[in-house]
Amino acid sequence: MSFFSQRKNQLWLGLASVLMLIDLYLIIFVTPIHPEQQWAQRIFYFHVPSAWTGFLAYFIVMIAGILFLWKKDQKWDNLGLASAEVGTLFTALVLVTGPIWAKPIWGQAWTWEPRLTTTLILFLIFVGYFMLRAYGGHPERVSRYAAALGIIAFADVPIIFISVKFWLPEFQSHPQVEMNKQAPEYLYPFLFSLFVFTIIYVLMIRYRSHVLSLKNEALSE
Amino acid sequence: MLIKLLKKDLLLELRSKEIVISMLTFGVTVILTFAFAFNVSPDLMNSFAPGLFWIMILFISVLGLQRSFAYEKDFDAYSLMLTAPVDRGLIFLSKWMSGTVFLLITELAVAIPFVLFLQLELDVNLWSLWGIILLGDLGIMVGGSLVSGLAMRAKMSAVLLPILMFPLVSPVLIAAVKASIGILNHQPYEEWQLWLRIMGTFIVIFALIGYTLFDHITEE
Repeated sequence: MSFFSQRKNQLWLGLASVLMLIDLYLIIFVTPIHPEQQWAQRIFYFHVPSAWTGFLAYFIVMIAGILFLWKKDQKWDNLGLASAEVGTLFTALVLVTGPIWAKPIWGQAWTWEPRLTTTLILFLIFVGYFMLRAYGGHPERVSRYAAALGIIAFADVPIIFISVKFWLPEFQSHPQVEMNKQAPEYLYPFLFSLFVFTIIYVLMIRYRSHVLSLKNEALSE
Repeated sequence: MLIKLLKKDLLLELRSKEIVISMLTFGVTVILTFAFAFNVSPDLMNSFAPGLFWIMILFISVLGLQRSFAYEKDFDAYSLMLTAPVDRGLIFLSKWMSGTVFLLITELAVAIPFVLFLQLELDVNLWSLWGIILLGDLGIMVGGSLVSGLAMRAKMSAVLLPILMFPLVSPVLIAAVKASIGILNHQPYEEWQLWLRIMGTFIVIFALIGYTLFDHITEE
């Protein structure tokens, strides 16, 4: 049975599509133009939710890793890999949208802002994660190694963030913190966008986990 | 049991001297490339020195880890070791500790050509500097041993090790460089003690994770 022929998944797809269209409408037509940052500010409605989703995804990779090593159930390995894939996609979006915003606002495309730097390091670790998955050897062993790497990577996040923060203390500007101080007409579409991205993330990992479980079934036959 | 495992690693190295000699030779080669690539005034070189030193350590530690785990891979010694009634977490701890010992021995030797060839002027408390070097080594090796355990049996283990290890140990690199700069520039302890705490936290967290995970990931 294909994924989208199931009633529940059709509902998820419908919900995600409608919410994304509403989100785009709100961002483009409803949210007022920011007096200082003009159109550049609107990239936050994608940039920050992508970052949130990316970090949520990597957190799920860690949880799935712990559960896989504990319960030895293949479904947790599938969830871990699915979440790592989706997380890396969103992290890549963060790394693309960050410089697009920074160029007009800060005058340079790349700055070693702690959040952006932590995201870059995490992205690189997960590129290594996929290489380990691809070239690690025996599939059952690779699943265990990947689970371990997912746990290590997320445990490293706070240390990376703190060390980068104090490495160049002049970069203390956190767009997300500023976002909370914005007027409601900026804040509510932003919160809505966070919600929509989370729904899209759930749909995407459901789909990828499904595909991965089919792949495992085919391989074991 | 930890002592026995550690003794095994150290005895093997004492007989072959393979790891330390490869790390040392590679270290001197790296210093030579630094000297050629950064032909700058002594003042400028002094300010680059901490960064260059830790880049060199990162490079040679990869080489050492690869050799250390290659021992286990050859003749499938690792599988044999896993059949022994040994707590797997202890295998990780012994690899970490022996790796740190090899790195320290190499550094003691490589520090001389580093200062000599790059024409550095060292006017510092060497004990404090070596304290930072020890902490940095423990940090680099705890991350490196953990990643080596994962990458060792992969097809591209030699490539995977630095790719996984460098971003993971980046906090240690930042902290070690910053603390070394603090000491070399005679900054008061309060200004750079934060970096020691970051290295300490990294070491404790990675040692605990490594000890716990090795038991789960090395089930055969």
